[in-house]
Formats: sequence, C-alpha cells, structure tokens
Amino acid sequence: MTSPEHTDTPSGSRRSFFTWLIGAAAGLIGISLAVPLSGYVASPALKRRERQWVDAGPASDLPVGEPTQRDLVMTVTDGYMEGAAVKGIWALRQATNEVTVYSPICTHLGCGFRWDGSARRFKCPCHGSEFDLDGKVVGGPAPRPLDRLPVKIENGHLLVQYKEFKSGTTQQIEI
Amino acid sequence: MLSRLYAWLDSRLKLEPVKETLLDEPIPGGASWIYVFGSATLFLFFLQAITGMFLAVYYAPTPDHAYDSIRYIETQVLFGPFVRGLHHWGASAMVVAIGLHMLQVFLYGAYKPPRELMWMVGVLLLLLTMGFAFTGYLLPWDQNAYWATQVGINMVGSVPFVGTFLVRVMRGGDTLGALTLSRFFAVHILFLPAAIMVLIALHMFILRRVGPAGPWSKERAAQSREAFYPRQVFMDAVVMLGVFLVVVMLALLVPFPLTDKANPSDHNFIPVPEWYFLFYYQFLKYMEGPVLGPIATWVLPGAFIALLLALPFLDPHHEREPASRPLVLGVGAAFLVGVFVLIGLSVRDLQAMKRTDPAVVSGKALYERFGCMGCHRIHGEGGAVGPDLSYVGDQRDRDWLIKHFRDPQSTSPGSIMPKFPLNDQELNDLTAYMLSLKKRV
Repeated sequence: MTSPEHTDTPSGSRRSFFTWLIGAAAGLIGISLAVPLSGYVASPALKRRERQWVDAGPASDLPVGEPTQRDLVMTVTDGYMEGAAVKGIWALRQATNEVTVYSPICTHLGCGFRWDGSARRFKCPCHGSEFDLDGKVVGGPAPRPLDRLPVKIENGHLLVQYKEFKSGTTQQIEI
Repeated sequence: MLSRLYAWLDSRLKLEPVKETLLDEPIPGGASWIYVFGSATLFLFFLQAITGMFLAVYYAPTPDHAYDSIRYIETQVLFGPFVRGLHHWGASAMVVAIGLHMLQVFLYGAYKPPRELMWMVGVLLLLLTMGFAFTGYLLPWDQNAYWATQVGINMVGSVPFVGTFLVRVMRGGDTLGALTLSRFFAVHILFLPAAIMVLIALHMFILRRVGPAGPWSKERAAQSREAFYPRQVFMDAVVMLGVFLVVVMLALLVPFPLTDKANPSDHNFIPVPEWYFLFYYQFLKYMEGPVLGPIATWVLPGAFIALLLALPFLDPHHEREPASRPLVLGVGAAFLVGVFVLIGLSVRDLQAMKRTDPAVVSGKALYERFGCMGCHRIHGEGGAVGPDLSYVGDQRDRDWLIKHFRDPQSTSPGSIMPKFPLNDQELNDLTAYMLSLKKRV
C-alpha cells in the first residue's frame, strides 16, 4: 500500500511520538471508564446490610426459664424490592429478667430446632443435635453452641437484631 | 516484551498484511480534522454499548420494577447516576456526531459515485440510531417515558391501511404496558445492536473498498497522500478524548432526573421529547387536522427518508466542489435553518410553559425547611402520616389553605398537624406552592 514517495506520513521518532499520544488518549479513556464501572458492578457487594432492631413483643409476657418462640416481622430489602420476612426466634427470660435470644437455626447444618419441654432441651430434628437452656451442645453433631442474637429491652418491648451465621463451623461467622 | 509477543503472533497469524490494510490506507490530500466525525460517532456507539451493558446489570424490564430499578441505580448504586448520565448524554452526543458527520459528507459531496452505497448504509444507520433513541426512551418507565412513547406510537397509527395493525404490533396488544416494555427492551438491547453492528461493519467495509473521498478539489487531493496512521488516528483519538470529556462533564454536572412513575390513568401529563426530536415535535403543532396531520406524521418523514436514500442518484454528477452545487447545498441549508428555527421556537414555548412563580419557589423551600415531608407525601416522596399533597392544588382553595396553616384544627378537626410559626409572607408562599401542585400545570 505504501510507497517511498509518501513523505507526508510521519516516520521514525515522530511516528513513535504519535503512537505514544494515541496510546495515552486511549489509556485515559479506558481508565476513566474502568474505575467507575468496576465500582458500579461491585457496589452491592461493598454494602453491609443494615441491621435493624425489630420488635419481638412485650418482654414481661415471657415466662422465666421457659424458652418461647416469638415472630420477628422484618422488612427485607432485596435490591429495589421490599418485602416482609418472618423469623421465629427463641427468647428465654432469665430469673434476673435478662433475656437471651437464640437464632432459630441449628449450628450444624441450618435446620430449624424445637424446644422439648419435657427433656428441657432444644432438639434439632434433622441430625439429632441437642442443646441445653444455655445453648450449649449436649448431644449430636453440632459443632458450636446456639447462636445468640443482639437484644435490648426498650419501653418494656423486646428488640432483636436478626442475623444469620454460617452453619457447620466451630467459630461463629456472620453472613 | 510486547514486540516479542507481537512477533510470536505474527509468525503464526501473519498479522503484518492486516496491520498494513488497517493502518496504511492512503488518505487523499492527507489527514484532516474535518474527517473525525465518523470515528467520533463510532466511539460514542461503543460508549453507548458499554454503558448500556452495565445499566442492564441492574435494570428490570417490567412495569412493576423498571422504575424502581432505575431509581435504585440513581440512589443506591456506586457511580450509578454517572453511568446512567454517560448513557443519556452519550445518546445526545451520538446524535450530534451523526449530524456533523452527515453534514461533512453532504458538504464535501462524498455521497457521490462511487460512494452511493456507503451513504445509503449511513442513512440506515441513522434510522437505527433513531430506533435506539425511541425504544430507549420508554425503558425508565416514568411519566415522560410512558406518555412520549404513547405519542410516538400513535403517530405510526396514522399510516393508512396498516397503521392500526402496526400500532398493535409495537405495543404488543391493545395497550402500552408490560408487553410493550419487554419488546422495547428486547429491541433496544438485542435486535438493534445486532443490526447496527452488521451495518457498521458494512459501512466500514465499503469505506475500505472504495477509499475515503478526501478534499472536493482534485488538485488538493493530488497534492499529498498520507497514510491513515498515525496522524489521522491521532486526530481521531484527540477528538474521541474531547468528546468523552464533554460527556463525562455533562454526566457529572447536569442531572437527568426521573419524573414520577408512569401512571397510565393520568391523561393530563404533557410529555416532552428529547431535544433532537424537538424540531419535529414543534412541527407537529403546526400540522393539525385530517389532511395536514397525516402529512406530518408519516408522509413527510417517509418522503424525507426516501429522499435521503435516493440523494446519490438524484445528484449523480461527479462534481463535488460546493460552489458548483448551489441547488443541493441550498436545499440542505434551508432544511437545517428550518430545523434550528423549529428547535428555537420549541425551546421558547417550553420555557414559557415552565416559568415558575417565585412565591412557589420560596414556598417549596419552606416546605422543606419545616420538614413537612416528615408526614406528607408529594409524588412518592415523604411520609404517609398526613394526606398526600401531590395534587392538593386541585382539592383545596387559597382561603382554606391559609386558614389551615394558621390553625390546622380549625379546618381539619382532630388533625395532629402542629401550628407552624409563619408570617404573612411565608403563609402566602406556602399557599402558592400548595396551589401549584396540580395535575395540569
């Protein structure tokens, strides 16, 4: 295509200089796009879910020393959608009036456990894990005690922050 | 390192001839800043493609979620307003770049033989771009999107015999709704991109086979011959960077807010099209009635497109010098003047319509200062404790509002709204703002 008389086409160091400038312009555009676009895609992963305190009903109605299941009705935000989710947590009022709240999910493989009043134990129907009133493992394959949820009492109402934890690990890891 | 990699690839793929074909294409008369508009358009197309793909990461094409997903991009996603701004302003910039590109080709007579096919494919590319603009406009599913699309689709209905059927096909049935949104989305992100990529490739293929036109004077064209690389590529790159920076600045500085969510029952909403359709929007205002209406909605647009496609054959003389083509250039100039006059008239009308009373502005500021949105809601913003005030101007009169603000209990017994310490001026401003909240402004 080219022939020797094409003297108007820059050559040698002038040509390299143009090549460098073209590369610089392309690089500038590329980086100015790559940075915001990466942040844009990663955005939901960078956000920590906001933990809300959810009302779990009056604290005074809870019987002392007897675990009671209470429903937490939460507004769950899923991107641009909002919906309600109900989680049945286990609340246990101590003699000191302090309230302990257990996550309703077995620490073994994530099944929902029950309170067996006659045996005074939490029992998981899936693989037979058992926990005592303090949440300690007293039987079965569960690797760690029951997960406790943050709790506070305001104006006589029990407020709970719902969280989920990884199942099957000895350490409690929030997800 | 890079040169070794290139040598390795070249020894296998024989890249050198490809490189020569791509970069050493001779440009008659040498590189020039006047030839940059085509590559600027191509660059903007890629910018639209990239930002569009990223918008699709969050967008949901259903009437239930489209609006909320765009709001989510605007308010929750990191760089969301920026990416959406790039796509919005990139579309405008693409229209400008195409306009300038066509103008250059027209002025230089570059559509003349042997480049007729390149021009015709270019006209088809213009139509596809308009298709992108039209289908993309509906996607945010806000009031403006909904009603502007309604108007656009209805215009197709004026085509004789097949109009009604075409309208039903475009809507996917009787009404503009879920089926319309999903087919507009599919056309916008799948069908049109596929078509435009084929035509862009064809446009470039013809360019490479026929070669660039160069200057209109044969003497100047013969004076020098320079390869496409590096100077023309450099000029193209500088312009691309410049265009990119302008679009970035617009995306950062000029917000592009959503209007309210589409409300198919609100027939009072007056949609405004994008600026590049304004000339036509204004033109339609002058063309009413059973005869002029259809002329404006389909006869003239159809004739115009046919004229554009046929231009190389209507003006086939090889002479490209502008001085020897007074008729064609005169018609072109008259068309441009017409377009700009119509845009000017339209902008003037729109500004006249939107002029706001200063009392309304300060009333709005008071509304925000006193935190009225804590209890009241206007177009979806604010609490739901008190009544929704979106259209309170249609429901209450001035005297009622003033009495209400002085003592809410006097007009609404049992209201929990507190008495706010407003002086007469403030009372007047807040009332003016409330009265401005009407369905029809």
